[in-house]
Amino acid sequence: MRAAEPVLRVVVLENSPPMSYRDETGQLTGFSVEIARALCQEIRANCAFDVADQSTLLDTVAKGKADIAAAAVFETAERRGRLLFAKPYYRSLSLWLARPDVVPGRSGIRVAVVHGSAQEDYARRQGWEMHQVRNNADLAGVLLGGEAKAALVPMISALQLQKSDPFRRLGLAPTVLRAPELSGDASFGISSRRPGLREEINAALDRIKRNGTYDRINSRFLPFRVS
Amino acid sequence: MHAGRAFGFLAALFVLAFGLAVVLLAMDQQRVIDANAHLEEQTVPEIIRYQRLARNLEQLRQEGERIFAVSSHASRQQSMFVVTMIASHPSVLEHPGAAKLARETEQFLGEVVRQSVRDEQRPAIHYQEWQRLASRLGVQVDDVSIEGINLATSDLNVAADAMRLARYKLIIALLLVGLFLLAFIVLVRRHLIQPLQRIDHALSNLSAASPLPDFDTSRMLEIQAVEEAIREHHDLLIQNEQARQVLEKLANKDGLTGLMNRRFFMQSAEAELQRAQRYRRPVTVAMADLDFFKKLNDTYGHAAGDAVLCAFADLVRDSSRQSDLVCRYGGEEFAFLFPEISPTEAEVLAERLRASCANAEIGLPDGRTVKVTVSMGLADASECPIEIALKHADDALYEAKRLGRNRVVLGA
Repeated sequence: MRAAEPVLRVVVLENSPPMSYRDETGQLTGFSVEIARALCQEIRANCAFDVADQSTLLDTVAKGKADIAAAAVFETAERRGRLLFAKPYYRSLSLWLARPDVVPGRSGIRVAVVHGSAQEDYARRQGWEMHQVRNNADLAGVLLGGEAKAALVPMISALQLQKSDPFRRLGLAPTVLRAPELSGDASFGISSRRPGLREEINAALDRIKRNGTYDRINSRFLPFRVS
Repeated sequence: MHAGRAFGFLAALFVLAFGLAVVLLAMDQQRVIDANAHLEEQTVPEIIRYQRLARNLEQLRQEGERIFAVSSHASRQQSMFVVTMIASHPSVLEHPGAAKLARETEQFLGEVVRQSVRDEQRPAIHYQEWQRLASRLGVQVDDVSIEGINLATSDLNVAADAMRLARYKLIIALLLVGLFLLAFIVLVRRHLIQPLQRIDHALSNLSAASPLPDFDTSRMLEIQAVEEAIREHHDLLIQNEQARQVLEKLANKDGLTGLMNRRFFMQSAEAELQRAQRYRRPVTVAMADLDFFKKLNDTYGHAAGDAVLCAFADLVRDSSRQSDLVCRYGGEEFAFLFPEISPTEAEVLAERLRASCANAEIGLPDGRTVKVTVSMGLADASECPIEIALKHADDALYEAKRLGRNRVVLGA
């Protein structure tokens, strides 16, 4: 197999540590990226990685410009029409981050969300005032800058935010939102032009969960088991 | 029943029974394969899921320890953050026991962290309580791990049951094979080997003299056919023997008189003479000749001569003993052998024959009657060969003729 002719085109996020980011050498890495790499290895496919924003990620795959979106995508009815979903590769939940007295849904509170995320969809449906950012890395900025008083984020993003001192000093408390569309199974999106690929990926996922590869990647990037 | 059909039927039954056993065994094997597949595809992932839950509970405990160990509020907050997420994570929520304990842990640690904001020393007060909670978490970790591992037990039991069942079926199948082989051997022995042995025995002893072999009629048509053939062969042997005896008699008799012929007389006389000489028993021979037979032939014709010869033969048969040998020696000449009596005693017998012949009225074919006389010469045969003895008797006959015929002369 020649590298010039990649069998699989994998598109990932670039600014969502610890799920998907560039390390100090500029290499793409993170939980989602490494799981995608392990799957490629498992199905013996030559994978070429490319990056996209949260807002364009699914479109890239839906339009057939990439075969796999290696990011946590919640399966929704609307999305099911556009692309295929692999078996869940981890289970997530969403956190409302705000000062303890700021409860979700309170009017006049601007909520920071990543553009194109499930959290944005949810906030829109709730009719909340939103402040959209391009990626998870920009969340801390808008909260610190006061453009938003709260954030609705996936748990892993919240974990990452929690690591920075300035953010912690804001004294935002996490509240788990129990809405079904905000928690549960997160999967890779697969181009509907590659229907056979889903079965291959699913079988490979089962295998790496059994053979320990998955858990090693889990331990490397995340503080607890997310499956 | 045809042997081929019977054995074919048995073989078909065997193939059917053995095929059934193989199918049953294959089904058990499939059950083991299915149980294995279930173990690999369903149970092992489930076990791993329990392992991950255990790992998360352990993480919960470690984060709790960290909250008590560190002095920095930021670190406590960070740990508390992880605790919140673990306690709310679906992997924990889906296990009721773990979810309850995690919720309890989250609430307890949350309270500790809140209090520590106000008073840095507060956490130490709750440490004992935490240790109890931590130990419950530890026990829950063990329980969840064991629960997960126990999931395999059911699959393993299914596989073990199937294997056990397969073993019984294998034993039964092997017994079945043994049983069929035994039945096959018994049938071959009873219906083929034993009948063949009987046939072999019957054939080796088969003769016209032996009785008809008694077969227990076989169930096998092929054997029955052979037995029937042996019966027919036996009948044929008897018929042949009878024909042979008739032919032998015909070959030994004189065609006209029914007495022995000369050849057979000589054979029999020589055997009798040897016996008598060996045991030193008396034995006498005689020669007889009808008087003027040529003249009788010329006068009355050959048919009359033949009638006279037959009539004389009848007289001889009537007057001789069972053991006496008599033959038509040639023409009108007859030879005799009298066992167990001396020439003197034989002379009485000869005289009686001569007298009855002389007295007989012999009817001719044309209705006339005629009288015939006979001359006889006797000789002792106890110490010489038959030819010599007959020569002596012939000499005596010649003497009787010379002396005037119709008389008996005892030779030297």
